[in-house]
Amino acid sequence: MGLKKSHDAPTAGPDERRLPRDLPGLLTALDDPDPLARRWAARDLAQYPESSHALVERLGRETEPSVTAVILTSLTLIGDEIAVAGLTECLRSEDAMLRNAAIEAMKQLPEEVAPWMGRLLEDPDPDVRIFAVDVLESLRHPQVEEWLIRVITQDAHVNVCATAVDLLGEVGSERATPALLALKQRFADEPYIQFAADLALKRISAD
Amino acid sequence: MKRILVIDDAATVRLYHRGILESAGFEVSEAVNGLEALERLAEGPFDLYLVDINMPKLDGYGFLRELRAKDIPQAPAIMVSTEAEDNDQRLAYACGANLYLIKPAKPAQLLAHVQTLLGERHPS
Repeated sequence: MGLKKSHDAPTAGPDERRLPRDLPGLLTALDDPDPLARRWAARDLAQYPESSHALVERLGRETEPSVTAVILTSLTLIGDEIAVAGLTECLRSEDAMLRNAAIEAMKQLPEEVAPWMGRLLEDPDPDVRIFAVDVLESLRHPQVEEWLIRVITQDAHVNVCATAVDLLGEVGSERATPALLALKQRFADEPYIQFAADLALKRISAD
Repeated sequence: MKRILVIDDAATVRLYHRGILESAGFEVSEAVNGLEALERLAEGPFDLYLVDINMPKLDGYGFLRELRAKDIPQAPAIMVSTEAEDNDQRLAYACGANLYLIKPAKPAQLLAHVQTLLGERHPS
């Protein structure tokens, strides 16, 4: 499910974009029974930032994967607070494809996602916290290491810490060493944490 | 030597599982997602699959569905996931998993299940 920043989509036939291409027409088309019409509407709405609420709302009901993919692309292009909030809600979805696509979309919005990260990493649902750490994987933001250190220092859930320690092995610096050593003590009976923390410490000391 | 395909997008998890399995004498191959795992099938039959659920491109459920639909000798699959919900476990079994383990799996526990599924050990 690619997320392109460009607008180089194929040309639509006349029936697929039959409604007016202004905001009201596109919002109507976004609820069209024909998935192709919805897909084109979702694509064209990327140029209307005020449509982010409608796109988020449609995302929650959309059943056609190709339309979902285009909605996510448009939300990424819009990238306002409503769009980012909509993407973060996707982390709670049972639909793995939607969740993964939202994670990929969020990775492209480091500055916009940053204000949400603190809350996501403290979400009551450990799965959401794990997916938030997944977002950090390629989020080009200066606070990534700091967030990961906070997770392995504070989070009580072994799998949240396991996901964070994997990533610290890739992006961590010597700043992470005390937290990694403390994590090993905190989860002394978890072989995976011992393994992953040792690997991260080895990689950090080799840098 | 029995061949096991470890499918997980997390490199550290693959390395961890590889170490456990190789120490017990298994030959291990790796794939970073379900799609790559399907491509690995061309390398020849595997005796067991160790499959993560949440992976990009093709997740563990999708991989198992496609694997079980193939006209090839079938092998047991262990799904290993952070998801402890009953729904996830039900879906895993419906997709063709033989066993569902919650991450992080302990070495002795993982080896015991692998050896049981491969008929090398009787279930206790």
